[in-house]
Amino acid sequence: MKMFFTILICKLLRFVGKLIGKGSSMPGQIALRLCPDILSRVKLPEYIIAVTGSNGKTSTVEMIAHILQKSGRNVAWNREGSNQIEGVTTLVLSSATLGGKVNADILLIESDERFAKYTFKYITPTHYVITNLYRDQLTRNGHPEWVYDAIKDSIHPETTLILNADDPLVASFGQGRKNVIWFGADKLDSDTELLESVYNDGAFCPVCKGRMVYSTHHYNHIGHYSCMSCGYSRPDTDYTITSVDLGSGVMTIDGKHEITLALKSLYNIYNILAAYTVASLVGVDGEKIAADMSNYVMKNGRVVTFDLGGRKGTLLTSKHENSISYDQSIRVACADGRGVDVLIIVDAVSRKYFTSDVSWLWDIDFEMLGDENIHEIILAGKYCNDLAVRFSYTTIPDDKIRIFEDIDKAADYLSSGRKEYIYTITCFSDKGKFLANVKGE
Amino acid sequence: MQVLHLYNDIMNLYGEYANLTALGRFLAHNGERMALEYATFGDNVRLYDYDFIYMGSGTERNQKLVLADFARYSDELAAYIESGKPALFTGNAFEILGKSITDADGKKYDGLGIFDFETVEQRKTRMTADAIFEADFLDKPLVGFVNKCSTIKGVETPAFKVRMGLGNDDGKFEGLRKNNFIGTHLTGPIMVKNPHFLKYEASLESGRKDLSDDFLVYEKKGFEITLSELKARNN
Repeated sequence: MKMFFTILICKLLRFVGKLIGKGSSMPGQIALRLCPDILSRVKLPEYIIAVTGSNGKTSTVEMIAHILQKSGRNVAWNREGSNQIEGVTTLVLSSATLGGKVNADILLIESDERFAKYTFKYITPTHYVITNLYRDQLTRNGHPEWVYDAIKDSIHPETTLILNADDPLVASFGQGRKNVIWFGADKLDSDTELLESVYNDGAFCPVCKGRMVYSTHHYNHIGHYSCMSCGYSRPDTDYTITSVDLGSGVMTIDGKHEITLALKSLYNIYNILAAYTVASLVGVDGEKIAADMSNYVMKNGRVVTFDLGGRKGTLLTSKHENSISYDQSIRVACADGRGVDVLIIVDAVSRKYFTSDVSWLWDIDFEMLGDENIHEIILAGKYCNDLAVRFSYTTIPDDKIRIFEDIDKAADYLSSGRKEYIYTITCFSDKGKFLANVKGE
Repeated sequence: MQVLHLYNDIMNLYGEYANLTALGRFLAHNGERMALEYATFGDNVRLYDYDFIYMGSGTERNQKLVLADFARYSDELAAYIESGKPALFTGNAFEILGKSITDADGKKYDGLGIFDFETVEQRKTRMTADAIFEADFLDKPLVGFVNKCSTIKGVETPAFKVRMGLGNDDGKFEGLRKNNFIGTHLTGPIMVKNPHFLKYEASLESGRKDLSDDFLVYEKKGFEITLSELKARNN
């Protein structure tokens, strides 16, 4: 009876919440108060797929859902990104019958990395994807090893781990474990022999702390590594990006399945590969997955094309407090041979909490914007001075840089006079302030 | 001037390298030449050859590795500090100078024993906070961020008064100061974020009182904005 009422109340709250535009975590929060172990009482589907990691969770989950739904499977997933236990509870109970059976073939859960241990105390995933571990929101997360320890507490022995072989810290979850599926990239044309990053999170072995060497870097510390002390090295992969051409925008998986990229970034190809791996394991044919992923445009609004006073541009949602996310966006802008202007906005560091910390700006490789493809750089927002200081330590000449504390003024400046394509690089917390000035495409 | 950055390859979580980049440029602007050297595991240096020594923050595991390697410098560092030469250890770097560090599993590591304080770590919650610290040797407060999982007991000569943020244990005082050695849990490029502190450290190192900071225009604006943001938050 308790379960029946808890589910009923959760469903009602969700229904009302949707009408008045409330978020998806409150119904689950109340359900958990009524029945703290509700998640272990409901009957879950055969496949329970969890996805966590620093970057790419939301995109990977959206892609998995897209492929599986196209293959005719019924997928319950937290599409609004409420990824702590409350949001997951809302998802599970809203998808359940009043008798407590989740009405889906597959339960697909995006999980916050630090709080996964609470969610997976009650739910044992059949498959658990860990995308990567980067320096991400360190003002809350501490550092990647701190997050590693938190994720470790969420892993059940019987779960099949699906791990990024190219991320040394993530791959170390697979140490001494048999049920692991590895995904990663072969040496790619876009690889570099030397590290291209301000810092090196792959310098020391996550297992024994000996020195590591790389035979190739895909980006930052993601690549083919091996430890000179204990022999820990990048595992052979089960699902593999065998080549990618970012210029023409084509990636190949396992040497045979070609996918045309809607977003030509290395980030995107890892998300696609993770989704490909999961869908394959569920039983979808590789060629079918490749067709579903070709030219797939994400619906989560992270890449937005716009028109600003006649000038076209793309907003690349990047994460403040996440240098690799910025590095990736910067690489996309630098690769655009048309010659572009770049607008960077740091106004509110986070939309969820307050901090004034900008130390993460020093981990971003802004030097790359010295590329000849980048014409002007516009820095905007409350922390434009900190950005200006950071840029003063690059070799980019001052006359290439404009600074506006007021985001609207930066938009005004951009909308008059110049012709270049614009890349706007900023976070969820600040993108609305810019998009208020533009027309959508 | 000779500057030593210790364990820059592993104690570098929050962009700490920028402290020394900024120091170098500040001194150059004032006509001084700064040579920056690095020392890590297995290197041998003579601390007394340097005019300024710096170490930044690392993960808890990495800090223990550094402690094991750096223990051989214990007497030398004590003498360096005693002599009044300047050094700055930020984040959890300064914890290694105490009597001991106890990790979250209860394992106790001997510290360098230069000071009498003891550090205890836990792994339940990450202790983080924006911070405003005051010091009698600075004309303006310091702004920054504390990111740690430890408490420290037994510091007799703290560096700062806590106006906002987290202190050593009782929350009122933070860090450690002895002569011109400063240890603080503030992380990252605090010498960039606080141009007056950059000038303070540069004048200790160079022995000059006439250093100009006029060119730090954006630094000063950035500092004032952050200070007012934090004050508004703290009220």
